Amino acid sequence: MKPASLLRWYPRAWRERYGEELLALIQDTLEDGRPTWRLRLGVIRGGLRERGHQAWQAGKAAFHGWLPMGVVVGLVVVSIPGNLKTPLPPARAGQATAAFDALAGIMALTGVCVLAGALVAIPAFAAFLRAGGWPKIRRRAAWAAGATLAAGGGLAWLAFMLRSMSFAQVNRSLAYVTGEIATSLAVVIALGLWASVAQATAKHLRFGPRARAAQPLLAAATMTGMLTILSANLIWTAVIQSSLLWLVVGVANLAAVGVVTPRMVGRAIRRGRRLRAAAGQGPTINPSAQRTSGRDRA
Amino acid sequence: MGVSGLRRANDPPLLILVSLAEGPKHGHALAKDIEDFAGVRLGPGALYGAITRLVERGLIEPFGGDDRRRPYRITPPGSAALAEALADLRRITRAGVARLGLDPA
Repeated sequence: MKPASLLRWYPRAWRERYGEELLALIQDTLEDGRPTWRLRLGVIRGGLRERGHQAWQAGKAAFHGWLPMGVVVGLVVVSIPGNLKTPLPPARAGQATAAFDALAGIMALTGVCVLAGALVAIPAFAAFLRAGGWPKIRRRAAWAAGATLAAGGGLAWLAFMLRSMSFAQVNRSLAYVTGEIATSLAVVIALGLWASVAQATAKHLRFGPRARAAQPLLAAATMTGMLTILSANLIWTAVIQSSLLWLVVGVANLAAVGVVTPRMVGRAIRRGRRLRAAAGQGPTINPSAQRTSGRDRA
Repeated sequence: MGVSGLRRANDPPLLILVSLAEGPKHGHALAKDIEDFAGVRLGPGALYGAITRLVERGLIEPFGGDDRRRPYRITPPGSAALAEALADLRRITRAGVARLGLDPA
């Protein structure tokens, strides 16, 4: 085994940064001799450790901040079919319909925010793809697509069970509960993986000043939308199940959103202004890369 | 364990910081220096794993040189982390020496 082939054990990004240096060190250590098994094992162990470290960091970055949101979306997505199936007395049907309409409306508004964020990034993303960036995110995107398919399959399975069983059967079905848990997990994992794709892509995107200023505000709006969806879903569930507990939790969550949102939006606006002002003073920079390097320095 | 994450006297990151406290060195010079002053032989894998972590944490940084034999130097946060780790070790050494009744030469 040649020293250069030992580098295969390391992640590509690490090889690009440190590969030549490590090879030079191995050559200096050998002084024309052959690499010993001990040296090879040490390098292999180092490579595997580096891969583990990179995977851990990527996972942490993907789920940091997104895990609570993923859990919210997972819970909401899997609770909707069951709630829709629940039989209601006519007296509460109107309230339930109004609560569901409110939930659907907030989900639509949040979807618009997500879509707007994607549209703002499209020119930079197209430039990234034209510059041959696809291989940099291909593997992550494939994993995320796989997890999305699994989540979609889980939802289809839940919908099929709901269509083929009565409400009482659904309530007693272990397969349905298991399917709900598995689908929730698949939704959370898929969201985390897509967040990872977005973060990996954002590192390479070069945004214009307007897009840069709009991003923090859109992110804050999306976050607010997600939290409001959770409240609306809790209130809808409370109406359907006549549960005072869910109603209190839902209203308390909504009140918390009301307190947190103005601060979050204010911070996003100030950050957007700062980024736009910075754009007027220097070359185009990537806000996410700027944030990362700041954290590394800290 | 302090903020620096340096734990034991034979930790590769600590040994690298001690070596770089003398001045910038590339990988091979670091390995030889560490072997000389600490009697610890760090393989290329362990050495570059520790260098990677130290660079990530901003405790050391590359310092010119060519791509293949790039020297590294300690940064001000690296010096502070090393001082903190050495103070910890000194405290432990003092306690051990006192409890064994050894002469603190």
